[in-house]
Amino acid sequence: MRPLSVRDFRIYGLECRTELLKVMRLPAYALPTIGFPAVFYLLFAVALGGRPQDGAKVATYMLATYGAFGVIGASLFGFGVSLAVERAQGWLLLKRSMPAPTGAWIVGKTAVSLVFSAAIVAVLVVLGVLFGHVRMPLGTWARLSAVLVAGALPFSAFGLALGYLCGPNSAPAVINLIYLPMAFLSGLWVPIEMLPTFMKNLAVCLPAYHFAQLALQVVGAGRGGPAWSHVLTLAGFTLFSVALALGAFRRDEGATFG
Amino acid sequence: MKARILEGTLAAAGIALMTVGISAHFRALAAPTSRATWGSEATPAAAAPRPTTFAIVDARVFDGTAVLERATVLVESGVIKAVGPGISVPKEVPVVNGYGKTLLPGLIDAHTHAFQDALERALVFGVTTEVDMFTDARFAADRRAEQKRGLVTSRADLVSAGTLATAPGGHGTEYGIPIPTLTRPDEAQAFVDARVAEGSDFIKIIYDDAASYGLKLPTLTRETMTALVAAAHQRGKLAVVHVSTGRAAREALAAGADGLAHIVADVPAGDELVALARQRGAFVIPTLTVIASTTGDTSVARALSVDPSLAIYVGSSERRSLDAEFPAPLKGTGGMLRARALVGALKAAAVPILAGTDAPNPGTAHGLSLHEELELLVGAGLSPIEALAAATSIPARTFGLSDRGRIAPGMRADLLMVDGDPTRAIAATRRIAAIWKGGVAVERKPALPEPAGARVNTNGLVSDFETDTATGFGFGWQISTDSMMGGASEAAMRVVQGGAQGSRRSLEVAGSIKPGSMYPWAGPMFFPGQQPMTPANLSRFATLAFWTKGDGGTYRVLAFASRLGRIPAEQRFVADPEWREVVMPLSGFGNGMDGSDLQGLLFSASAGQATFRLQIDDVRFR
Repeated sequence: MRPLSVRDFRIYGLECRTELLKVMRLPAYALPTIGFPAVFYLLFAVALGGRPQDGAKVATYMLATYGAFGVIGASLFGFGVSLAVERAQGWLLLKRSMPAPTGAWIVGKTAVSLVFSAAIVAVLVVLGVLFGHVRMPLGTWARLSAVLVAGALPFSAFGLALGYLCGPNSAPAVINLIYLPMAFLSGLWVPIEMLPTFMKNLAVCLPAYHFAQLALQVVGAGRGGPAWSHVLTLAGFTLFSVALALGAFRRDEGATFG
Repeated sequence: MKARILEGTLAAAGIALMTVGISAHFRALAAPTSRATWGSEATPAAAAPRPTTFAIVDARVFDGTAVLERATVLVESGVIKAVGPGISVPKEVPVVNGYGKTLLPGLIDAHTHAFQDALERALVFGVTTEVDMFTDARFAADRRAEQKRGLVTSRADLVSAGTLATAPGGHGTEYGIPIPTLTRPDEAQAFVDARVAEGSDFIKIIYDDAASYGLKLPTLTRETMTALVAAAHQRGKLAVVHVSTGRAAREALAAGADGLAHIVADVPAGDELVALARQRGAFVIPTLTVIASTTGDTSVARALSVDPSLAIYVGSSERRSLDAEFPAPLKGTGGMLRARALVGALKAAAVPILAGTDAPNPGTAHGLSLHEELELLVGAGLSPIEALAAATSIPARTFGLSDRGRIAPGMRADLLMVDGDPTRAIAATRRIAAIWKGGVAVERKPALPEPAGARVNTNGLVSDFETDTATGFGFGWQISTDSMMGGASEAAMRVVQGGAQGSRRSLEVAGSIKPGSMYPWAGPMFFPGQQPMTPANLSRFATLAFWTKGDGGTYRVLAFASRLGRIPAEQRFVADPEWREVVMPLSGFGNGMDGSDLQGLLFSASAGQATFRLQIDDVRFR
């Protein structure tokens, strides 16, 4: 490994810019990733926001959970599906023959996940303030946004692994099969306390639950317990996903060059 | 190879971290805390200053003795920090606008009997402390222990005499709770010491033969009553004596009683007991509310239960209790007039008067009735301010509750905020705007309508007893006797050969009714709900029918239903030597019974059946 030069940074920057440009021109990704959490939030938190005395409470709570829902979706699909497709197109193979660092496209895709996560959070915040009457101190807004956007990292790692494990056609289906049940069981759609006990216990074993709890703690609606337990679980999940991705990458290399 | 080791290590480390994180979270969840669905705080902004820190501004403040027309009350961590017109409120402290409202100390009812949900109900109506004049000593001990552990925000605090002192068979023994009694002066100290050991906050003594109610009950002798007062003082406890006649009141005061429970209604306002009370420094808890009820004067109580500012909080049990009447109210004797005049005379003589209701006697309800008592005290000649003091600072001082009863720095923030000005028009206390206990806002939930029973899917057959005591629905049959109320009656049931209409088997019940309980019973009870006493809805049936034969005695079917409270309604039947069908319309139980909230049916022998035997068969609803 040689030390990074200014030229490398330019490559990383270019990679980020082009990757971003690509997904922006792909409505199939950009629209549902931002649209679904926003529509769900409007529907469940604002329109069906429960009894009037719970109103702002519901909108605040769901800002955290639908924020987490959106960020997870952006990361899993942004990484997983695009990687699976690009692998099949031979695009990654082409990239490897270019005089650019191998990791550049990973950085690019991570940047996309973070940017889209930030966009989702921004949209939800605007909806929450305008229609959900959510009011919080500035510091709380900032911490909630930071936690939500940072949550893109562990799920990007998981998306990376899925992108290597799945084929281009199966990737969207596999990711939906993991993403949607996990979101429901983790209390991202309906509050965790409304789920039956066995689901609540199952939820604690899911990474999305820990992500949501971190966000909920910021708005004072967590279920209790220290924040480090959630951070630790998510860190472990990230490591595990990276290991999975490395294994899948090796398998892929073997299939291509072996 | 190297790659595999790297991957394996990473995966193992990841799994290890997840395991630690998840198990730590599981452990944290196992800690018992209540979880609100939407989180504990409405907005995290309120998290910075504790919710028990706030200020009420621009309110009229009655501080327990005097009125500040427009003042600020600053509460910090549940304790009153400052009171006055010129208090500055720190910027971060939430402010409650009190303009047009009056802030009072949380009310204290100085005469109640608390059990079941009495204290929860009291709090709903602004009563933050109840002084209890006799309840189950274990109930009182539980409440004391709980209050000692920390602030209780779900119910009013309790100060209690626990078990009262009365003669065997005297007033206080008729409620089914077996209690120790005494007969001689030399037993007094041991009796009082036993109460002190149980935790009694003061000593309550019954000195009343109930003659003023047209009854004749055993009561303590004057010597024993006097010895009890002395024994209480020996242990530094207040002695409160229940009386109902002027003579008894004078004798109690002469014995050194610290206070009288109930105003008497048989002497004129000029009676020497006024001078005696003043000279002895005794206090009086007139309980005009219950006096009004015993004299059949229910006008204020009736108005209370339909008061628009209270009505939505009045539950069905309270409405029943308010509507209930004493068995033989002493109507038209002028008792209430004399009682009122005597209270006026005591007030004129500066004898401390404490507001007390004697809830939950017929015609009264916990919490609610204190608002009636305030009105009756004003009707007896107290000013509204004096009446409010009688329900706040005076009972607090009398019973040594140094942390409440006033709005002053250092006091616990037990507060009641009402619309309007009760210091001029006392009925404004009913227009409750907010209640705080220890600075925690009390959430007042409107009373729910009576829970209807769960609908039961059945053709109506309860039991044909052809094999065993199995039932077509519900929890089933169980023997019930008065032993749960201190009685000694017995009963047993078994399935025997030979049933009605030539059927193979039937249920035989045999037992004995023994003295020892005011309301003796023994027999099998059928619970139609999934659990004993949970109501079942059988309203599509009109009648209860069963076959019976037996020793020729008269038996009863006692129906328990939510609408009846704890007192069952009954219909009677005779068990002839030959099989015979008995058909009882459900409406025959009275009280609007329609089977929609049936909790239990008890087939019981009656008092006087020393031994009994009957068979029943083919029990069904039709």
